[in-house]
Amino acid sequence: MSTSNTGSLDGSIAGRVVVVTGADQPLGQGLAAGIGAAGAVVVAVPTDALGTRPDAEVAFAAVAAEHGPIAGVVHAAIDPVAFERVPMQDVDDARWDAVWEQTLRRTLFVLQAGHTQMHAAGGAFVVVTSVVGMAGAAELAPFAAASEGVRVLAKAAARQWGPAGIRVNCLAAAPEQVPIGVPSSDLALSPPALGGPGDPEADLAPVAVWLLGDGAHFCTGSTLSIDGGVWMAP
Amino acid sequence: MSGDRRLEGRTAIVTGAGQGVGRGIALALAADGANVVVAARRAATGEPVADEIRARGDIAVCIETDCTVRADMEACVAATVDRFGGLEIMVHNAFKGGRAHRLEDLDLDLWDENSRTAAWASYYSAQIAYPHLAAAGDRGRLILITSPAGVEASVGIPAYGPVKAAQRALAKSLAREWGPLGVTVNCIAPVAETPALAYAFDERPELKERVELRTALRRIGDAERDIGSVAVFLASDGGSYVTGQTVVCDGGSFMGL
Repeated sequence: MSTSNTGSLDGSIAGRVVVVTGADQPLGQGLAAGIGAAGAVVVAVPTDALGTRPDAEVAFAAVAAEHGPIAGVVHAAIDPVAFERVPMQDVDDARWDAVWEQTLRRTLFVLQAGHTQMHAAGGAFVVVTSVVGMAGAAELAPFAAASEGVRVLAKAAARQWGPAGIRVNCLAAAPEQVPIGVPSSDLALSPPALGGPGDPEADLAPVAVWLLGDGAHFCTGSTLSIDGGVWMAP
Repeated sequence: MSGDRRLEGRTAIVTGAGQGVGRGIALALAADGANVVVAARRAATGEPVADEIRARGDIAVCIETDCTVRADMEACVAATVDRFGGLEIMVHNAFKGGRAHRLEDLDLDLWDENSRTAAWASYYSAQIAYPHLAAAGDRGRLILITSPAGVEASVGIPAYGPVKAAQRALAKSLAREWGPLGVTVNCIAPVAETPALAYAFDERPELKERVELRTALRRIGDAERDIGSVAVFLASDGGSYVTGQTVVCDGGSFMGL
């Protein structure tokens, strides 16, 4: 089984084409910078190209046409409305749609378009989620629901696409992490054991690089909480 | 059934109560004394369950409700409160959309069935029941019926796991949000004899044996005795310190929590 199309077992991703969504937001921007520094050809796909499946397919195909076969996809795009804290009784259908429905659909389209590009030769997805989904948080119920929906959608993709050499893993960031900007202690969670939520480029990106590379060739369907030690389950 | 009548004087709505797990939960809650609203998309399936409950000497009415339509859920809750004077226990069980598919072929029609019945209807159930659950204080309960697939995903039905996962996260979040009121919010992840499972076993006879073999107790659950009893416990005073949890009732198959 091939797990990458240009790979080397030393884990290097040098020269590989990696799509990053959400690169206009602090977390995605940091991940993109770190992955680029590891030698990958990073191509940002804007969020407005992910609203429908055809749009996503066109955007991913254009990346492959210009830069070569896509070997990895990092999906970090999320509408900042998701992080607004609103009591459940004040959530309206427009908000539920923006946070739950559109987050899930965008992720589905990214997975499908990525599959179109990578199913022949294999590849790796890294889907960015939040420990808030696993922990639950008052006044962030729509975001928590969306975060867990995304995480289990990634697992479903991992289960179905394993035979095609496509790996799908999640990277769960701390609630302090931009752009949420909520201290974990405000959400009934422990503070990060390592003293902070980490810098996206310096602290989180190396884990994304590892997940994209062949060193992680036997790792799929996993969630790595890269949150400095907030969430420790399991 | 229990004779304890632990839910006497309390009122419950159970969505999708016309069959399967929802029917079992409705029967069990009523047997323990609750006034039960059988919320079913079609009265043709809901009325017989309400009849069955009344024939046992317990209390039930059927209200035809499409849980994916906000106005329907508002009308159901309003009629419930009008009829019984309050609403202590909201159980959202209804689900549609469990057809096998490939993720790369998943279209928005099938996705919408999953998303609307599990995620949107959970949001409606929670929000519309909220004022009444809050008024009920430490007797207020929201129970969402999820699945082990909401934790570990389903290889055959990729759209199913995400919407079931959303219910778990919603329950955890609302447990934290409503905890100060005394209201608890939990999930039950059941495996029970249902029309859907019977159909699957008819289609693939080898499946029943395989499911039983991976089940520690070597049998498929009974919707009333095995699942309904857990809903009764969560709804009763004995369950009032359990919140934000998923109780997996599958005879000991999935042990990942």
